[in-house]
Amino acid sequence: MAEATPSHPGESLRDAGRSRRPPSAATAPPILAAHEVHRTYRFGQIEVPVLRGASIAIGRGEWVAILGQSGSGKSTLMHLLGGLDRPDAGRGTIEFDGRAVNLGAGRSLDRYRNRDVGFVFQFYHLLPELSVLENACLPGLVGGWFGHARAAAARRRAGELLEQAGLSHRLRHRPAELSGGERQRVAIARALVNGPRVLLADEPTGNLDATTGASILDLIAAQHAEGLTVAMVTHDSSVAARAQRVVHLRDGQVVDG
Amino acid sequence: MYAALLSNRYLTSRVIPLIAVGAVALCVALVIIVVSVMSGFLDMLKASGRTLIGDVIVSSGIGGIPHYDEWLADLRALPEVEEATPVIDTLGLLRMPYPSGPSKEIAPVQVWAIEPASFARVTAYGEKVWWRPPADDAAREAMLPDDPRLRMDGSILRDGLTLTQGATGKPGIVMGMHVSVGNARQSDGSYRPRFGWFMPGEEVTLTVVPVSESGTISEPRDATFPIVNEVFSGVYDVDKSRVFIPLAQAQQLLRLDAAPLYDTTAEPDAEGNLPLLGTTPARVTKVLIRAKPGVDALAARDAVEASWDAFVAKAARRSDRLGRPPERVSILTWEQQLRDLIGPVEKEREMMRILFSIIYIVCAGLILSIFWSIVIEKTRDIGILRSVGASRLGILWIFLRYGLAIGVVGSLAGVGIAWVVVDNINLIHEAIGRDAPRAAWITTCALSVLSVVMALRSLVWRGRLLPGLLWTIATVTLGIITLALLGHRGTLIWDPSVYYFSRIPSQVDWFNAAITVGGGIVFSVIGAAIPAAKAADVDPVEALRYG
Repeated sequence: MAEATPSHPGESLRDAGRSRRPPSAATAPPILAAHEVHRTYRFGQIEVPVLRGASIAIGRGEWVAILGQSGSGKSTLMHLLGGLDRPDAGRGTIEFDGRAVNLGAGRSLDRYRNRDVGFVFQFYHLLPELSVLENACLPGLVGGWFGHARAAAARRRAGELLEQAGLSHRLRHRPAELSGGERQRVAIARALVNGPRVLLADEPTGNLDATTGASILDLIAAQHAEGLTVAMVTHDSSVAARAQRVVHLRDGQVVDG
Repeated sequence: MYAALLSNRYLTSRVIPLIAVGAVALCVALVIIVVSVMSGFLDMLKASGRTLIGDVIVSSGIGGIPHYDEWLADLRALPEVEEATPVIDTLGLLRMPYPSGPSKEIAPVQVWAIEPASFARVTAYGEKVWWRPPADDAAREAMLPDDPRLRMDGSILRDGLTLTQGATGKPGIVMGMHVSVGNARQSDGSYRPRFGWFMPGEEVTLTVVPVSESGTISEPRDATFPIVNEVFSGVYDVDKSRVFIPLAQAQQLLRLDAAPLYDTTAEPDAEGNLPLLGTTPARVTKVLIRAKPGVDALAARDAVEASWDAFVAKAARRSDRLGRPPERVSILTWEQQLRDLIGPVEKEREMMRILFSIIYIVCAGLILSIFWSIVIEKTRDIGILRSVGASRLGILWIFLRYGLAIGVVGSLAGVGIAWVVVDNINLIHEAIGRDAPRAAWITTCALSVLSVVMALRSLVWRGRLLPGLLWTIATVTLGIITLALLGHRGTLIWDPSVYYFSRIPSQVDWFNAAITVGGGIVFSVIGAAIPAAKAADVDPVEALRYG
């Protein structure tokens, strides 16, 4: 079923949420899928196979937790799903909305990362020289040479998201002046500023205490409730329990889900 | 847009880029200062040549140019010629009016015998006569209260312009400002009499040696002239050695005036007189020509050459055989005349430009190393930017733009530094030429003591090594500066006797400055390009994982 997707900053989060909401995650075709992907890292003469034919399908509007031990390949799978990395040549594909994203040119992958998915990392990964507002609207500034109107829309959208995240009083602060939880909220606002259809969260609470981690999961849950598809990597089963579906990864392969 | 935001933020939030900006600024300033001074020197050489000798210079051998007044009339009739003036150029010895007592100082001089009126129309002689009352109230205001010119009336200028002592009607002499040691130059460029030896009004004796057309040297002859004024051309060689006397007196002294010619091979008549063959015409050794406005010096020279050929042909048709002009004379433009001087300076300027441009490579290397460390430090940021969709070209552009910004800011700062230095170069030079002021070394000494205290505070009380080291370096540097200031007894860098002019050229060569700024920007971008390419090649996953 064709879906109206918010792909422009400036559209309000709640409006975007309504348009994203699918009728049923279980019956909908996957929006993001990995098919038999392999990824091997090479360190000189040494080859380290991390993913060995992992497959996963994430339905529209679904919240999937990818659970696994350290070194099981969770983050690598997340990087492949997000277009930050590619599978080994000829060994697996990543599909977004029915098209293979890993086979395109570099520019199409850049665009995919900029528009279609949003990343949240364990260590927040905010740029220290930029303010909270500038960090949050960064994806809106990327991707165009003639972007004054686009930048203004991104700032407006980032402001709205930060307000929803309870950070409207922190817009001009630098990341170093924020707590861990506040930084992660900024990272979530940044991930959502371009209205992506999928949020990829890599251990989003892994660096936070339990209370703060819960508040971050609440924020993600609120976005999911508005129709956002979420793929979350974690090694914490209590965190994974917040997802609709849990996928286990072991030795580079999905063992269930 | 994000490239602009990030490169601006990287530039303003860190100290290292400021070091790069400083390095570019110093490199650019250094090149501009050196090239500007040399270009200014060259321009002054050319300008002085033109204002002191006219556009075209005709020089003959020792025999001189006879019937020169006829040729001058021909020259003045040429459409290319504004004015022409005769000159005798010879060497002489000048017996100065000092010191007191019978033994006087003797100065070797270059004597230019001139017709002052036409000479002033060909050259800027009229403007170069120094002792004169201020032209207007503004000029009067600009002079210091003890300037002797404030107490002068117009007669001294008139005497200088006519080479005649008005009070006595005697032919006078005008000397270059530095021929006499009695003139002391002040920091504002004006002169005061030294030891009370004010030259105008004094008398000097000029001795010259007549040389016949055939090269026979006669007995030296001398004449006494009242000094009617002095001339300051700004060209040290001229001001140190040249004197001006009236043409008629020089012709008499040098036996270049019109004179009867007797047949020395014949027997004397009953009264003992030899047969008169005729009258040899008066002669001069140079003719200086001013071209009409808008006429190129080369075109004027061609016209003068054609006129000379016609003059020689006309002389050949004369019935008398006396006073035949030489067939060959040297006819040169002012630039050709000064080629021996200008050519080496031009080559030297280009050599300096090339040598100093090597600094750019150092500059590019510095930026490269600074950027390399920044890229390594910013690897994680690059991964973050890639994760939000920044392309490799976008990352490349951030760092190229960063380098461009450093190049532009550094180069413009360099132009500013160069402008301040060049504009005040004579003041700076004069300050270096004096003993260091007491306040300067007391200040640096006090700062040095303060640095010692700060170094001890950092190292001993607070246990901080880096600030302690920086304060120690400051202490040593300030100590060395204090010792240098204490030992400084004035250094003459720009010696007028070596560099021809008494003042250092102080005009920025804006054309060369623009080229230098362009070079600074280009080499800054080149220095940034390699780290920028490395940044673009950063693997985002590796960057996020290990950055």
